[in-house]
Amino acid sequence: MTVLATADLGLMLQLVPVQRAGFALLLASVGLPIVGVVIVGLDIMPVRFAMMHVALLGIAVGLLTGLDPMLCALVACALAGAGVAPLARTPAGLSGAMGLLMSMAIAAALLVLSVSGVNASGAFALLWGSILSVGSADIVVVGVLAVVVPALFWWRRRDLALLLYDRELAQCSGVRVGPLTVVLLVLVAVAVAGAIKLTGALLVDALTLLPALAARRLGKRLTTIALWAVAIGVAVNVTGFLIALWLDWPPGPVLVLTAGAVVLAVHLIPERSITSCPPPASAAASPSSH
Amino acid sequence: MGGLDVHMRGVTCGHGRVVAVDGVDLEVAAGERVALTGTNGSGKSTLLRAVLGLHRQTAGTVLVGGRGTASAADRVWRRRACAWVPQKPAAGRFPLLAGELLDSGGAPVQAAEAARALGVGALRRQPLGTLSGGQLQRMYLARAIGCVAAGAGVLLADEPTAALDFAGQEEAAEALMALPVTLVVVTHDRALAERCDRVLDMAAGRLREVAR
Repeated sequence: MTVLATADLGLMLQLVPVQRAGFALLLASVGLPIVGVVIVGLDIMPVRFAMMHVALLGIAVGLLTGLDPMLCALVACALAGAGVAPLARTPAGLSGAMGLLMSMAIAAALLVLSVSGVNASGAFALLWGSILSVGSADIVVVGVLAVVVPALFWWRRRDLALLLYDRELAQCSGVRVGPLTVVLLVLVAVAVAGAIKLTGALLVDALTLLPALAARRLGKRLTTIALWAVAIGVAVNVTGFLIALWLDWPPGPVLVLTAGAVVLAVHLIPERSITSCPPPASAAASPSSH
Repeated sequence: MGGLDVHMRGVTCGHGRVVAVDGVDLEVAAGERVALTGTNGSGKSTLLRAVLGLHRQTAGTVLVGGRGTASAADRVWRRRACAWVPQKPAAGRFPLLAGELLDSGGAPVQAAEAARALGVGALRRQPLGTLSGGQLQRMYLARAIGCVAAGAGVLLADEPTAALDFAGQEEAAEALMALPVTLVVVTHDRALAERCDRVLDMAAGRLREVAR
């Protein structure tokens, strides 16, 4: 029988890097799940994957030029986010372009790393994240996101609800769909880049997509879905982080698996006990499950 | 009688290489009620969408109240000036409460009253995805009535009675005819078409007046 090596949680929590990591995660789980709701609502999951590759390209450029790699990743993602906005009129247009952007970004990243002779392991370490080495700059980024994202969301919640429901209905209701889409895509891109240090580019879903997927099933409208997403994000990240510390496991995968378990658990709850009033017979094949 | 006039000259719309609307000329006077009939795929819905500026592949001139859609401000004005009841309003990708749909027309109180009059007032707290086709259609109709209360001068209604039962068709027709606006309604409902001032038939993207 194997005995899990467990650490003294109380002692661990007194360490400054652990406290910083925990604080950064808490901040991240306020802003990023709302970004996840937007990703799910606009059905733009390919954008999130493409941004991960663009971030890697930004990091490669940073390592080559000697600039802060995280800053380069943020800028690269923000530019790419704004650049793809005109394609967002149709989800189909967007996913094709994302495939192209993804391949070209990763190829360019590899080329930059190879030509410049930079040690690639530094860049690829960011794919896995390094939560215990979170610096002040990283905390500032997630802190700003924790304020800006909920504030923007609350300010534009009516426009956003219409846009996520139907782009044309939003247009006909006076919503300035084009500029709003640009802002949303830039936010998605910056949020993905900002969260990379915490969970790694590959596992950033723990903070964004997974709380939103669970919340999508629990809320009946945009605002309740966003509140559920933040609540689930905070709960999952605190629990996951404590489990990772306690068992001395890498935090990124533990966070994703904890969030994934919550999504699965939420989907096991029968739909009837979630919606307060039963839907009419014609809505038996409810679209809410996808 | 209120309302705005609609002027179309040489309006042509394509879906890729397929021409859906082919050189349509149409004058609708302020306050006039026009029914557009014709077979499926003849371009009626595309023509309405072109008036709203929603169909990108559009050539020719469309003026509403004498105003085009050259600038972004013009396009915003056009969409406020023209209320829209979309064809087969499908439930969207993300939840939206019926009440939020009603409020989006710009006159929440009047839209809520219209919803009550159309028998769907009690469904305000329901997500649109849980409504039946007929209930959804009544909601969109109530929203359009709200848009008119908020100042829209034209109502573009795309098969507004298609999902309704017989009593519902009658109620919806009454509601549409009572509005002080220019009405352009795409319909296969003969009773509704007969209540309009003019009936136009569309075939293969072209429009012709039906003698009455």
